[in-house]
Formats: sequence, C-alpha cells, structure tokens
Amino acid sequence: MPILASDRILAFPARSVAAAPSLAPSPLEDEVVKFFDQCRAPLLRYTCAIGLSAQDAEEIVQEVFIALFRHLQLDRSRSNLHAWIFRVAHNLALKQLQSNRRLPETLDSYADLVNSHPDGRLNPEERIASGQRQQRLRAILQALPKQDQCCLYLRAEGLRYREISRVLGISLGAVSNSIARSLMRLKTVDGV
Amino acid sequence: MEFNGMWKRDAHLTDEELVLLSDSEMSHSQAGKARAHLAVCWTCRTRMAEMDGAIADFVRLYHAGSERNSNSAAGARALLKARLAELREFSPQRIWPFSQKAMVTRYVAASVCAIAVLAAFALWPSNPALTSGRQTAVVALPVVPDPNLTPGAARTMNRSDVCAASHVDSAHEIPGSVQRKVFAEYGLGKVRTTDYEVDYLITPELGGAADIRNLWPEPHSSVIWNSYVKDALEDRLHHLVCDGAVDLPTAQRDIATDWIAAYKKYFHTDTPVSAHSKLAGYEAPFSGD
Repeated sequence: MPILASDRILAFPARSVAAAPSLAPSPLEDEVVKFFDQCRAPLLRYTCAIGLSAQDAEEIVQEVFIALFRHLQLDRSRSNLHAWIFRVAHNLALKQLQSNRRLPETLDSYADLVNSHPDGRLNPEERIASGQRQQRLRAILQALPKQDQCCLYLRAEGLRYREISRVLGISLGAVSNSIARSLMRLKTVDGV
Repeated sequence: MEFNGMWKRDAHLTDEELVLLSDSEMSHSQAGKARAHLAVCWTCRTRMAEMDGAIADFVRLYHAGSERNSNSAAGARALLKARLAELREFSPQRIWPFSQKAMVTRYVAASVCAIAVLAAFALWPSNPALTSGRQTAVVALPVVPDPNLTPGAARTMNRSDVCAASHVDSAHEIPGSVQRKVFAEYGLGKVRTTDYEVDYLITPELGGAADIRNLWPEPHSSVIWNSYVKDALEDRLHHLVCDGAVDLPTAQRDIATDWIAAYKKYFHTDTPVSAHSKLAGYEAPFSGD
C-alpha cells in the first residue's frame, strides 16, 4: 500500500530482493562464445571497413552473436555458420549505416591509424613516399563500387567466392568479376 | 564458370581467369591448363605477379587497423557471456519449472551480471587506471531499480487528472541536477551516462512524482527487459486506467512493486512482445540455409 510522504507525494515502501543465484553457462553458450573468439576480430575489421565506427562495429558484433545464439537455440541449419555470421554482420552493419544517416567513411579510421604508425624501418623520405602510396591506394579503393569493396574485404577475411556470393546475395560470376576488376584497379597505384 | 582462351598457344589468360587461378577457384582441369599456359607465357606471369602485388597492398591496408581491437577483446567476450546468460532464460522450448518470483530473481541475477560487465567493458579500453593495474570498482546495475533507493512515489492525483489531455501532453523532463543526484545515488560516477536513461519508476502519465524516490538509471542495453519494454507497459497501463479497466492505485502499485511482473500481468506473456523489445531486429536474414 502506498504511504503518505510529504508535499502530497505518496511514496511506496522499500522492499527486499533475494540474493542472485549463480548460473553455469550452457554448452550452446560455450559454443557461441567459441565462435565469438574466432570471428570477433575479422567481423570488427569488416564492419569498420564498410564504414562503421569502432563503437558501432563492436555493438554489431555483439548482436551477431546474440542472433547466432537464437539461431542455434531454434535448431536452425548449421551449414556454413562462418558465412552465416558474415551475412548477418553485413546486413546489420548496412542497417546501422542507414540509421546513422551518413555515407560510409570507408577505411578512413584505418587511414588515421596507418598514418599514426609509420614504418620505423624507413627513412623520412621513404616514409613520405610510403604514405603517399597508401593515400593513392586508399583513394582507388574508395572509388570502387561498394559491392566491389565488400567482395575484397570478405575475400581478405578468407571467404570463398561461393560464400561471398551468399553473404552479398550476388552470383558467383559477379564475385569473380568484381574481384578481378578491383585488383586491376588497385594495380594502377604505381601508375602501371 | 567459363574459362576461355586456353586452347591456343597465343591466347592469354583473362584478368578473371588469373584471379580464379590465384584463388584456387578453378576446376582441377581448368587450373591445369592455366598453369600450363603460365609456364610458357612471360606476359601472363608478369600480370599474375602484379595482381599478387595488388593483393598484398590491399591486405596490408585492410589489416592495418586490426590491432586496435585487441585490448578490449576480454571485455567484449565477458559482455557477450553475460548477455547470453540473460537470454538463457528465454529458451523457446523451455517449460518453466520455477515460480514467478524465482524467475524474476533469475532475471535480476542475469541482468546484474550483464550490466556489471557492460560497465566494465565501457571502462576497459580507455581507462588508464585499469591498464596501469590500479583497482577500480565495477558498478552493477539491475534492470529493475533498487527498491531501497527507488521504492516509487506518486502525486495525489485521481483518474481524471492523469487522463486529462493537458497532463498527458506535458513534458516530464528531469532536471540535470536531479539526474546527477540519481546517478550518484546508484554509484554511477564513472560510467557513460548515455548508456542509461534516468526514468520514472511510476511514469508521470500514471501520476508518478519527480521525486528521487521515483527515479532510477534505467539501462538501454538490456537485451530483454529494457527501457523500450517498460515504455510499452506504461502506455498500456495508462490506456487501461483511462478506459476504467484498472484503477489508478493498482496500476501505480503494480509498476512500482515489480514492473517486469506487471508487464507479464498486463500483456499476458512471460516474455516481452517482440515489437517492444530490441530483440525484434535480431531475426537472421540467412533464410537460404
């Protein structure tokens, strides 16, 4: 029952709460955490590369593994979970980018990091040249269509062409064509 | 996949064929023919080497930022484990052997764990006190308020007062000074306050008072019983009160005593309706499997 406090405010009486029990993780939780250990870094790299901030990427990765837990909890297919995880991450990242209402800043955060960690083996002139080359490379990369960029990132994470085609929802031929086209563009970084 | 140009001695490999060969995406027989061509064709070998150089350049650029994430891996892992523990209670096949009180206790346990880890995770990568080995207290917050700090408080109002349009439309912004006091009371001096919303336990739409006994820092991040779910309950109770289906003191008491139990009672469900919870966005889009 409410009790009268002061200034016409009714304050409810304080209550006690039972002590919290300790709970052991289930085998399914352990399995998901194991996947997390294996895939967190690649997923962070991928989602940052397609334009998420580090903080958003970390949150998306958490959501991916919550989704994986639910997927497995419902006894859904375990066929190629590696590609499944990337596909969920890709879709959630695109949603997040849309909700952020801004264009992806592809590899910009990486650019800052690369520039802040110059190769110590190079002399000052070589560092400048190396930095300029990285800038050109990045410019070429950013000029690629987004789908081509995604193909490259996913390939860099070790996905096979068939897996990439499923993650992005495009044909196998489109994947190989995209990767070939992108590499030929990147090859021109030295003016070749 | 099409693989043309292998039959004539002078026909070079296309760019796509070079990529397919490099990535071991060709069939065995096609790859054999391509390698045979490469063995005798300096032009294609040079093009292949240039392509490998482009791959190496790209991979170096792509991996350049990966080291920055390594410091927070342990915190992220612990956060995931806590969130999974919270989800454990919502196995779709599970028949509940527990009383409602025991279930609520378990929600509280899992949520306390989740929020504690979240607070630790928020501090982990950037807090120099942690990296230098100094002890820093980890703040634990439940998805339900501390009943000693926030028992609930309501203004003396009747049904017609709370259902008046002017009352419903009025803003209920909590002054910054009061919010800081609430955070301090809950020991939240060192966590990101943007992760929480200082919320009324009894919503002003039900006569809840702007009194510190009725305010608590509600976490946004809880997977199941989060602020969005509580908002849905508040709307529901307001409608029920204004429709005359529930009297105002009952609504106030129920939400103040245990808002999760109240949600279950008024929505007739043990889990949040998907439209109310952040879980609604988790459906996996990989239907091909």
